[in-house]
Amino acid sequence: MIGRIVSLGRRGCEVLEALGRAGQFLAQSSVGVPSREGWYLWLRQMHFVGVLSLAIVLVSGLFIGMVLALQGYTLLVDFGAEQALGQMVALSLLRELSPVVAALLFAGRAGSALTAEIGLMKATEQLTSMEMIGVDPLRRVVAPRLWAGFVALPLLTVGFSVVGIYGGYLVGVEWLGVFEGSYWSNMQASVDFIGDVGNGMLKSVVFALVVTWIAVFQGYDLVPTSEGISRATTRTVVYSSLAVLGLDFVLTALMFGGFS
Amino acid sequence: MTDSPFVMVEGLHFARGEKDIFLGVELEIPRGKITAILGPSGTGKTTLLKLIGGQLAPDEGRVRIDGEDVHALSRKALFRLRRRMGMLFQSGALFSDLSVFENVAFPLRVHTDLPEAMIRDVALMKLQAVGLRGARDLMPSELSGGMARRVALARAIALDPELILYDEPFVGQDPISKGVLVQLIKRLNDALGLTAIVVSHDIQETLSIADYVYVISEGRVMAQGTPDSLDVNKDPRVSQFIHGEPDGPVPFHYPATDFFSDILNMEGRP
Repeated sequence: MIGRIVSLGRRGCEVLEALGRAGQFLAQSSVGVPSREGWYLWLRQMHFVGVLSLAIVLVSGLFIGMVLALQGYTLLVDFGAEQALGQMVALSLLRELSPVVAALLFAGRAGSALTAEIGLMKATEQLTSMEMIGVDPLRRVVAPRLWAGFVALPLLTVGFSVVGIYGGYLVGVEWLGVFEGSYWSNMQASVDFIGDVGNGMLKSVVFALVVTWIAVFQGYDLVPTSEGISRATTRTVVYSSLAVLGLDFVLTALMFGGFS
Repeated sequence: MTDSPFVMVEGLHFARGEKDIFLGVELEIPRGKITAILGPSGTGKTTLLKLIGGQLAPDEGRVRIDGEDVHALSRKALFRLRRRMGMLFQSGALFSDLSVFENVAFPLRVHTDLPEAMIRDVALMKLQAVGLRGARDLMPSELSGGMARRVALARAIALDPELILYDEPFVGQDPISKGVLVQLIKRLNDALGLTAIVVSHDIQETLSIADYVYVISEGRVMAQGTPDSLDVNKDPRVSQFIHGEPDGPVPFHYPATDFFSDILNMEGRP
């Protein structure tokens, strides 16, 4: 019994220590004015984490919008309310599905790649050699990746929403025959820019911070062996997914749960 | 001042978890000389280099480089000090996303405002010094182990450092590459007047170029002196290590129970 309490306490201390390290890591790598080369490195990472994630995010957005329209139509048509399809698709995407699904896809595609890349650089002593050359890897390797993730995910979320709404239009209007005017005008009338678009984007910014932070920290803090890299990559996807879903509930409760 | 040792290690204690690695190591590394640190595998030679480079912090004791206490410096000041140092890693540790040329040019690009034409000239001069100017456009994945280490050496000397740390430079090299590296280290030292610390357990190669040698074992300096004085050292532990004798004070076998009783023990048999 005592042994279990001791081991629980030790585990708790380890978690607190890791959180402290992660906080220090975030502060050291994300604060500071970038140099001209820093902007170039950031742009390069925007390509890797943003542009290369575009295909999976947009295709997923299209299918999710199409499925939403199909499911929504079969439900709404029973009540003769299929004219509200545009409103349903847009609100579902903007408030919930775009930020959450884009963040989950981002964690799987870009987050795991960030962890593996930084982890491999650590395992092959590239980070250490950079330190010995007098270059801080937190500023040169980690900071551009962090900032690229912070910026890329909200932009990808916008793309997800736009394509999703178009997917809903394709199925609802072009295929199932919902009147085009009501699809767009109901959407326009019911979507509030601050309340729906703004809150959805705010969620996306929070998810971007959390997912990218987890991904780069897991890469930087891993045990530099092949097994360590594989475990850290898995941890990135698992922790990011859980953090996104948990935070989504908290944010939704705060934004739409009537607490304000 | 110029006659004072370039690196001083004073009363260094360091432990990893429960295991003590250093129990009061004292070293003086003279300026402009090649100092070798020898010792059996697992004695913490690489750890010692990391302590000197400020990547690890000692539990007790100090490391001074040119009078500066490495572990009392701020992160910024430590990075500034490291610009005066070069380190050759066991693996080479080349940046895998940069070509050979860009790897060598990297320190010049980040620490100097030299125009591109001059960066090119300096990088090519360094590559010429290690005999790999022709390999400038190759990627690190296209290099053999020996070539990678030579490129890493060119990168380590790109900023003309005052101190260079070699971590097991001869490990895993074929005889030709080993000979090339031995000559390079010696030639660079003679030509540039570098202070060099070579950590190794390749005795003959290291003794052939070292001016002074420390032998480390069991957390302490076991012996020190010139290569010639160590060759005739009567201490059985030093003699066993320097002459590569398989058994002696340092046993061949890892501590274990009696062999025959272990063999006859029926426990654990199917």
